[in-house]
Amino acid sequence: MSQSIKKWFDTGVPWIWLNAGAVSASVIMVSGLILLISVKALSHFWPAQLIAFDYLESDGSVSRYLGEITDEEITTAIRADLTELAGGPEVPVTRYLVKTGNRDISGLDFRWVASLRIQRSSHPENAMVVERREWGNFYGYPAAIKSNGETVSIGDSLWQDLQQRLERSNQLIEEINFIEKDLIGAINYKMERIRLKERGYELENITDPAKFRELEQQEAQLQDEYNELTERLDTLYEQARRDSLVATVVDGKEVEIPLAQVVRAFRPNAMSLTDKFGFYFMKMWEFVSEEPREANTEGGIFPAIFGTVMMVLIMSVMVTPFGVVAAVYLREYAKQGVITRTIRIAVNNLAGVPSIVYGVFGLGFFVYFLGGSIDQLFFPEALPAPTFGTPGILWASLTLAILTVPVVIVATEEGLSRVPREIREGSLALGATKAETLWRTVLPMTAPAMMTGLILAVARAAGEVAPLMLVGVVKLAPSLPLDGNFPFLHLDRKFMHLGFHIYDVGFQSPNVEAARPLVYATAFLLVLIIIILNLTAMRIRNRLREKYRAAEQ
Amino acid sequence: MQQNSKNFIEKQSEEVSGDAEMTETQNQTPTHAMNMGSMVKKHADRMSLANEDICINIKNFNLYYGSKQALKDITMDIPEKRVTAFIGPSGCGKSTLLRCINRMNDLIDTVHIEGQMLLHGDEINAKHINVAELRRRVGMVFQKPNPFPKSIYENVAYGLRIQGVSNRRALDAVVEKSLKGAALWEEVKDRLQDNAMGLSGGQQQRLVIARAIAIEPEVLLLDEPASALDPISTLKIEELIYELKDNYTIVIVTHNMQQAARVSDYTAYMYMGELIEYADTNTLFTNPKEKMTEDYITGRYG
Amino acid sequence: MKPSDMSQHISKQFDDELENIRESVLGMGGLVEQQLVKAIQSLIESEVELAEDVIANEFDVNNMEVSIDEDCTKILARRQPAASDLRLVMAVIKTITDLERIGDEAEKIAKMGIDLAERQGARSYYIGINSMGNHVRRMLNGALDAFARMDSKAALEVAEEEPESDQMYVAILRQLVTYMMEDPRNITGAIDAVLTARAMERIGDHARNICEYVIYFVEGKDVRHISIEEMKKELE
Repeated sequence: MSQSIKKWFDTGVPWIWLNAGAVSASVIMVSGLILLISVKALSHFWPAQLIAFDYLESDGSVSRYLGEITDEEITTAIRADLTELAGGPEVPVTRYLVKTGNRDISGLDFRWVASLRIQRSSHPENAMVVERREWGNFYGYPAAIKSNGETVSIGDSLWQDLQQRLERSNQLIEEINFIEKDLIGAINYKMERIRLKERGYELENITDPAKFRELEQQEAQLQDEYNELTERLDTLYEQARRDSLVATVVDGKEVEIPLAQVVRAFRPNAMSLTDKFGFYFMKMWEFVSEEPREANTEGGIFPAIFGTVMMVLIMSVMVTPFGVVAAVYLREYAKQGVITRTIRIAVNNLAGVPSIVYGVFGLGFFVYFLGGSIDQLFFPEALPAPTFGTPGILWASLTLAILTVPVVIVATEEGLSRVPREIREGSLALGATKAETLWRTVLPMTAPAMMTGLILAVARAAGEVAPLMLVGVVKLAPSLPLDGNFPFLHLDRKFMHLGFHIYDVGFQSPNVEAARPLVYATAFLLVLIIIILNLTAMRIRNRLREKYRAAEQ
Repeated sequence: MQQNSKNFIEKQSEEVSGDAEMTETQNQTPTHAMNMGSMVKKHADRMSLANEDICINIKNFNLYYGSKQALKDITMDIPEKRVTAFIGPSGCGKSTLLRCINRMNDLIDTVHIEGQMLLHGDEINAKHINVAELRRRVGMVFQKPNPFPKSIYENVAYGLRIQGVSNRRALDAVVEKSLKGAALWEEVKDRLQDNAMGLSGGQQQRLVIARAIAIEPEVLLLDEPASALDPISTLKIEELIYELKDNYTIVIVTHNMQQAARVSDYTAYMYMGELIEYADTNTLFTNPKEKMTEDYITGRYG
Repeated sequence: MKPSDMSQHISKQFDDELENIRESVLGMGGLVEQQLVKAIQSLIESEVELAEDVIANEFDVNNMEVSIDEDCTKILARRQPAASDLRLVMAVIKTITDLERIGDEAEKIAKMGIDLAERQGARSYYIGINSMGNHVRRMLNGALDAFARMDSKAALEVAEEEPESDQMYVAILRQLVTYMMEDPRNITGAIDAVLTARAMERIGDHARNICEYVIYFVEGKDVRHISIEEMKKELE
């Protein structure tokens, strides 16, 4: 028996099984993770059925609820306080998490309900969800539409009328937003620059009144523009306030919701499958293209996506040349010896330093030292308010560049060492100098390895959060680092980041239940972006590799 | 010479004087005897280094890797427009010597050399010599075909581009001429823009030779140029070497003794960094002077 | 330089192959020598059986030549021998040709022996021929010996004896011409004797050739078609 087991071991089959098992476990874990995230993330946007039910409260009274079921769990009766109804403390009972919305009215927008206490439930056709700009969702039944305080619509035609009026009010809101954020934002930006210029003149002791007059003129002009815009805003607000929706809450109370507060209203129970799909993709698009609302628990995450991608790009632009140049020197020019070996070890170990240390370093060196010096030298007029002397996307990118430069160096060195000696000698034998050989032959052949290094760098940088919290990421950035105001690219600005967004929404949000699906959705998006960045880099690398498929075989 | 052949005929007549038939035949066909005479002349006029123009003159040349001496007091003259082969067991220094001629050994930090090595009278290892310039005069082809991962055209044009030639027409002409010179033109003329890595091993090696002759060197060093190739490709390379020797001084290192015997005019046998024997190939392969050479070429080495 | 020992090739098989053809040549040489001895004996002592033996064995000599030739071709094709190996193979190829010729000459002599035995007379023509036969036999023996020992000096010594056989031939010729002039009835018998002497002279030439091949093989010097004096000079 033991003989045959030994024989079986000698065949090597157990090792194959072991290896295969390890691989399968990894595959299962990775795919399981992605599956979990994507299911949780993607189901969030689906318009759930609204359920209305009578509920037997623990004090014996019966109340009515309207909402959507977002989660369910099976627990023991005693934990759900259902011992009597279930007939024993250990009897398993089902509980649902119902999103009932109406935070402004009832104070809570999620509640756990026990299935045993539900007495009568239905899916009323005309139950509606109203997404509001504040206070979260409203669940209820439409009753009437008021315009300028008078009821204009009631009954069957109400719903269509509501949608038309919503469209109008949304257009108005959009315009208001445009004026407030873009136009007035631009004016503010220019005013700030004028102020800085003025301050600059003062610092430089320029007393030429003509210059000051010029600035004043510009300021006055901007002020005029500003006044004009505020006037327009007033009228727009006036128009937007025209309509309001009267709705019945499930317990019969009537509330009036100004349409200016409403993003959209929909009746999931009345929607066909096609409608639902349309709605689904619209919500998804909103998620990736809109700005967040209500402490990041509603709306989209566009600024975070934008910030993440932008930071990664800036980092790549900085880390690649730096890493490549360092690697070329180390491998091609430096005399190989104790010093280069030490440097190599140091570089390799640099990759193992905890990232928060880089954050601290970035804050101390880049932000305070470098940024502070830059401010003193180039932006004295803004002081004491810092320009570069404060966390921003430039410093975040630089910190990550330092974090990832070992990877690029190591990969590039690896690539350089893989260029066959024959190729270099072939070039040298044709009368090329070392530099010509490097530039014309060796570096192009190393490009795939550089890309590999960059891929790894990007993968690491995009997923890094801890150091970023110190050097530039904020939970809500007022403006993107790239906009229409000269000089368009604002490297000093703070930015939002998907990784930090996950942390913020998941752990810093006042409304945990509402935020949870967003955590998944954001995580899903982060993974997706990293995958896309990697795939793009891999495609480029493979194309290069095909092109320089040298004597590597 | 004439004297010699005459002697020979006379001697022959003497020797066969007893043979009436033979004597008669010879008398009847004087033209035949003349032919014989010219053959004898050719036989006696063997290749000899003394009659050659010298291209590379190596004198008391020593080379050290650190403290280890790799070449010991090499003295030899490499003749112009001839094929000279270096043979010898692995590690005997033949490649090292070859690589000294275009200073490829410069790439190794620990190398240091003594002695003289003149290319047409210019000291190769002189301080003031521009190494890149020297390598343009002394081209080299390596053991493994090493085309650059570029198009066939760009491979051949590489050397010229390094020299700053960018005139398309001039490049076209050189590329065509070089590929023809390397007997590759017919095979690749329709796909000059294809990647050179797609060629077969033998084609790649001929491409590399084309690349080397594109810059018109004076000397062509071949470091085991056919050792990675199949026999047919090898023969093509050998045929190419035969054609190239009209225009270039060729020095070839080879492990394949038969190859050295086939392609070279002169052969040098090296062992442990020393030049053991250097003679015209016919002599070296039929009647070497040194026992070490004999043992090596008859397969008794070791 | 001297050729190295036959053995000591890295390839033992090559050693064996070379040793093989060398031994075959010596074997063939032995057979040819035997043929010659028998032929001369049959001639001198009118032993027809011996002569018939020689004629029968001639096939063996021819077969041996063909087989050694084949072996040499194989070695050339498969081993591409160089230097002394090449010279050995070349020497062997040439030597066996000469040996075969000697075999042919021996056969001729044996046939003369049969004729002579039938005719029962003119034995006096053959007095000089007997000693000439011994001379060329010694030469052949010496040549084969030099070949076996790869001894160029011995080969030179044997080659030096070749002019003597020429002189013997001239002397015999002169004597026989005298016989023929004395009495025309002697002509038939004398011509047989001339042809026999001629055959022996050829054997002497072939033996010298073999010596030259030995010298070529050992010294790498081509000493064909030069006088003995020049040969000596070459070998110094």
